[in-house]
Amino acid sequence: MTKTLRYIFFIGIGLSMVLGVFFRPEHPHFWWEKIPAFDAIFGFLGCILIVIGSKALGHKWLQKDEDYYSD
Amino acid sequence: MIEIVPPAFIYILGALLLAVIRERRLRAFLQLFIPIVAFVDLLSMPEGTYWIYQFLGYELILGRVDKLSMCFGYVFVIMSFLGMVYALHVRETGQHMAAFLYIGSTLGVTFAGDLFTLFVFWEIMAIGSVFLIWYQRDVPALDAGFRYIMVHLFGGCVLLAGIIIHVSETGSTQFGVVEYGGLASQLMLLGFIINAAVPPFHAWLSDAYPEATVTGSVFLTAFTTKSAVYVLLRTFPGVELLVWLGAIMAVYGVVYAVLENDIRRLLAYHIISQVGYMVCGVGLGTEMAMNGSTAHAFCHILYKALLFMGVGAVIHVTGRRKLTELQGRNLYKQMPICLSLYMIGGFSISAVPLFNGFISKTMVVAAAGELHRPVIHLLLHLASIGTFLHTGLKLPYGTWFGKVPEGETVDEIEAHEPPLNMLIAMGMAAFLCIFTGVYPRVLYAILPYPVLYHPYTAFHVVGMMQLLLLTSAAFWLYIDKLGGEATISVDTDWFYRKPGMLFLWFVAHPLQNLRLGVQGLLSRVVVDTVGLSKNPILLPEIAIRYIHLKVIHGFYRISGLSEDRLAELKELETRLAAARKMTYDKDVYRRPIGLGVFIAIALLFLYGLIYLIRLR
Repeated sequence: MTKTLRYIFFIGIGLSMVLGVFFRPEHPHFWWEKIPAFDAIFGFLGCILIVIGSKALGHKWLQKDEDYYSD
Repeated sequence: MIEIVPPAFIYILGALLLAVIRERRLRAFLQLFIPIVAFVDLLSMPEGTYWIYQFLGYELILGRVDKLSMCFGYVFVIMSFLGMVYALHVRETGQHMAAFLYIGSTLGVTFAGDLFTLFVFWEIMAIGSVFLIWYQRDVPALDAGFRYIMVHLFGGCVLLAGIIIHVSETGSTQFGVVEYGGLASQLMLLGFIINAAVPPFHAWLSDAYPEATVTGSVFLTAFTTKSAVYVLLRTFPGVELLVWLGAIMAVYGVVYAVLENDIRRLLAYHIISQVGYMVCGVGLGTEMAMNGSTAHAFCHILYKALLFMGVGAVIHVTGRRKLTELQGRNLYKQMPICLSLYMIGGFSISAVPLFNGFISKTMVVAAAGELHRPVIHLLLHLASIGTFLHTGLKLPYGTWFGKVPEGETVDEIEAHEPPLNMLIAMGMAAFLCIFTGVYPRVLYAILPYPVLYHPYTAFHVVGMMQLLLLTSAAFWLYIDKLGGEATISVDTDWFYRKPGMLFLWFVAHPLQNLRLGVQGLLSRVVVDTVGLSKNPILLPEIAIRYIHLKVIHGFYRISGLSEDRLAELKELETRLAAARKMTYDKDVYRRPIGLGVFIAIALLFLYGLIYLIRLR
């Protein structure tokens, strides 16, 4: 089950990359829309940025014990 | 066409009827029937302005019907039906009454044509909704509810101040576009964005919604913030400030969602994030952006309700609400239908093609693109990633699958699918999410402006798939880091919660001590006065005996004490005590006077008698 899922997942990534090369916007608004796999790169790096950035912010500053407000 | 009644009144009447009907089945019927009546009412409402009443020289307009208000009206009424089906098993009539009041007032806001009507319904909305929190009947809910209502009443006051200044400046109560600039418009904007949960005025939402009842929070997700988006669309389209607030808001919610352990609070932060798109669209102000905001509000209400229904079902069945208490318990085995329906909501909010988020969210993003706003465009894109990461991946993984951190023991949870009515409501919401996703024309037809946007271009679909698939890949890498952590995150509610506690301490200790001191002093004065008033005539007597005692005592102390003198002092003390104990007996003073008067009258009579005899 998980193996099949993993295959589908990788095939999906491959397929979206290949299709991304062929389907380009007619009127790109920004320079990065001309890069074929920009959304993929942005998705991957953006996700890592969100996880690491938020966790750092949380651990250093925002996260408190659950009874923070009750004592 | 027959104009029946404003839809707001249908719900408010429904709330009153629920209160007097004792038969449970009839109440359940009414719960479902009222939204249907309201929907028929909406269909029969022609465009235009009607239900106008004169009040203190101003016009109150309860029916300003155009495409914008109708679009919001439709989704509010649809949502009220879904929410009522979901809440059908709840036996507490009060909850349903609060919900009806809340929905009715939201519709009042939606169809209001003047600022006073808007304000009145705005306040009823706050009051109706707070009961959905309080009906949870525990201390955190009570506290959160109080904070919630305080913030909203503050927001209401700010709005009212803005409206009054606006009306006195312009002389117009019309609820339409307000030019952003002066104090009046700034106050009104502040009042609106408090309800739209725009940071830093957003903390009431993530604070209160997760504390509400399972069924109540489903209603809460739909009405307050979206009606605020509606009024922003009406009054402040194209205000640059909103573009930035919206884009920051979209990312802000995502950041907090990473840290969150409470499943409903995580989703609440995603409401803030999603409303960010709508606020941003209002700020962009083009026809496409406004259409996008409206469409996204429509879709958001459906999928967010579905998401809250899904996690609400888990909380209803297991009684647990934290990822740390749910992960690794493999609930997917016991509640597969619930999980599947939740995932439809998860895909919708993440803007997976063929689900409704895709047809509305991308419209706002594309509007930012058309205006060549690179930073806004990227911020909104970034928020999309975070949305899928949490709502589509982390939350379902942690709730229904997940791993228990090493060293922790797993306790078995008794779980099963939620009650049928909950599943039906979720099923209907899921159907609508997919239906509007597959046939966007249905939704586009009721948007305020003509739609020239095509969501299903190959570029859009492929780009979105790349974004989402690679987000999943990154999630897979960090899957162990993304489990729940048993913490809470401080947010801007810190600014009123911590100082609030300091204030409470100040009230409970120094101020209370002062009060007790003053009260003690006053009661002593009262006791003494009462003691004296028992026999005021003896006051000089007591004073003389007291002074006598003190003088003798002082004198004897200087000259030395002997047996006789001690006995004498004792005697004086007993006499003083006796004088103090003496109570006022009225007869003691009345009798001598009475006797004197009697003698005087007797003598007078005698004198009169002698005089009479002498006269003869």
